[in-house]
Amino acid sequence: MQHVIVFIEQRSGQTRKVTYELATEARKIADALGGKAHAVVLGAGAPAIAEQLKGYPLDVVHVAEDPDVDKYFLDPMVDYVEAVARETGPALILVPNTMLGRDVAGRLTARLEAGLLSDVTDFHFENGRAVGIAPKLQGSTVTGCTFKDSQYGIATVRPNAFSAQAGGSGAQVVPLAKPSGKQYALTIENDVEEATGEMGLEEAPVVVSGGRGLGGPEPFTTLLRPLADALGGAVGASRAAADAGWVPYSMQIGQTGKIVSPQLYIAVGISGAIQHKVGMQTSGTIVAINRDGAVPIADFADLMVVGDLFQIVPELTNLVTGAKAHA
Amino acid sequence: MKIVVTVKLVPDTNAAKRIDPGTKRLVRTGLETVINPFDEYAIEAALQLKERLADGSTVTIFTMAPETAKETIRKALAMGADDAVMLSDAGLEGSDVWATSYAASQALKKIGFDLVIAGGLADDGNTGGVPGAVAEYLGVPALTNVRKIEEAGNGKLRAQRETDSGYQVVSGPLPSLITVTMAVGEPRYASLKGIMGAKKKTITAMALAELGLERAVGTDGAKTQVLEISAPKPREKARVVEAADGASGAQAIFEFLRERKLI
Repeated sequence: MQHVIVFIEQRSGQTRKVTYELATEARKIADALGGKAHAVVLGAGAPAIAEQLKGYPLDVVHVAEDPDVDKYFLDPMVDYVEAVARETGPALILVPNTMLGRDVAGRLTARLEAGLLSDVTDFHFENGRAVGIAPKLQGSTVTGCTFKDSQYGIATVRPNAFSAQAGGSGAQVVPLAKPSGKQYALTIENDVEEATGEMGLEEAPVVVSGGRGLGGPEPFTTLLRPLADALGGAVGASRAAADAGWVPYSMQIGQTGKIVSPQLYIAVGISGAIQHKVGMQTSGTIVAINRDGAVPIADFADLMVVGDLFQIVPELTNLVTGAKAHA
Repeated sequence: MKIVVTVKLVPDTNAAKRIDPGTKRLVRTGLETVINPFDEYAIEAALQLKERLADGSTVTIFTMAPETAKETIRKALAMGADDAVMLSDAGLEGSDVWATSYAASQALKKIGFDLVIAGGLADDGNTGGVPGAVAEYLGVPALTNVRKIEEAGNGKLRAQRETDSGYQVVSGPLPSLITVTMAVGEPRYASLKGIMGAKKKTITAMALAELGLERAVGTDGAKTQVLEISAPKPREKARVVEAADGASGAQAIFEFLRERKLI
């Protein structure tokens, strides 16, 4: 028997969609493994998130609104999650495959002497063990991996891989005791929000992404942003666009950037080199707009439109906006 | 200050890859290996710091790879690193994230360091878990996703780290481990002088027996097990539309999205 523990990523009471995806999936995995579904939510704003999580099929939500979580980098979070894991006993710990989630997962690997499965997009079960399915080697291979022992296991889970569904009979919200005797080495002196980044790129249902073909930074705001807004999505970029300084690296999708898996990916003026493909090839539907029809992305797009992006994108934005207005 | 950069060698992105159905591991034989692209940024950050400090600080490259990968490591030395240590041992084969982290940490303990710099992700496994686990076993702080090292020396470290919504300024002690993002700057090319000089630099071979490990690594020590390997589902061939003008191109996309119920 193994329990499931979900690490909830949140910031000042704001969380990500993947939180609810994991809260939903945790129930299914816990039932399959014969354990309970737990969640851990930490830092300023944690109680508000815990309250929302009552609407999802979890058994216990552990909460600590400890100011140290936001004052010191990572260590307090790792200590709390470890404490919950020690208290529940053998467990599979789910964390979102995000910048923060990966940090937490790596540290827990050593703390709990546990296996780590990364970038999991599906789970199945064999002989009472969880098997994590994940794309590997730049998407050229799909692997199914499991944990060798039945103690602790950790999985980073790709956002958008599972659907969120509210339900359950209301989790019990339990305050967490502060782990004692801990010293925190890394002080967060300053925490700055920058408007330039793209929040939630990894979990946006639609991503409109721009590359070299855009020719400069302006079209990201004047062309892509309106289309992304009309479709309810986020704006991404290729490495060429980030390297050129047109957008911050946090918007870059690909091998050295973010990996996204939206329902719809629109690549605008992107040739689709392997470096980019790695970051978006598991998207549901891929539409490419490019002046040149012989670019690599033609090999893995579902729809390849050869034409002038500067004319096509605004017209498409109008059509989408019009359709939404009549819906 | 002794700066150690951890480097992973990965199969070239553009090379065709094959999984051995028996061992369920990547067949590395005959496959060109390159320095993990993220790790090149770690090397760049280390060299920048060494140049800035200009106090005799050194940059050591550490990797776990077969001896045959020596030439690839020389590329890091040609960029400007001072020397390298290679932990090469058949007993490492089959190591997963945990086993890799444990073995690497024990090697780093032996090498000694003031600052360990690692890349944020590996290109082949994409776990990102190793640096944090290594720091745990080393008992040093792990400061991740650094875009700028503001201060490093005299037992103190201050850096800007990227977050999804901006950045944080974080300070802590040395020794520490950091991971860097691409924002530290484009990795430099090796100069001809660098390439020539690299031939004379020392690459020290290290074996597991020297580390006195208390736990098994490799396949026996791994905490995870690959059960199945398959090829991803191929996509159907794209529908291609030649758009004479903006309106017809937009219409084609719009109808396609409707067909797929995406609008």
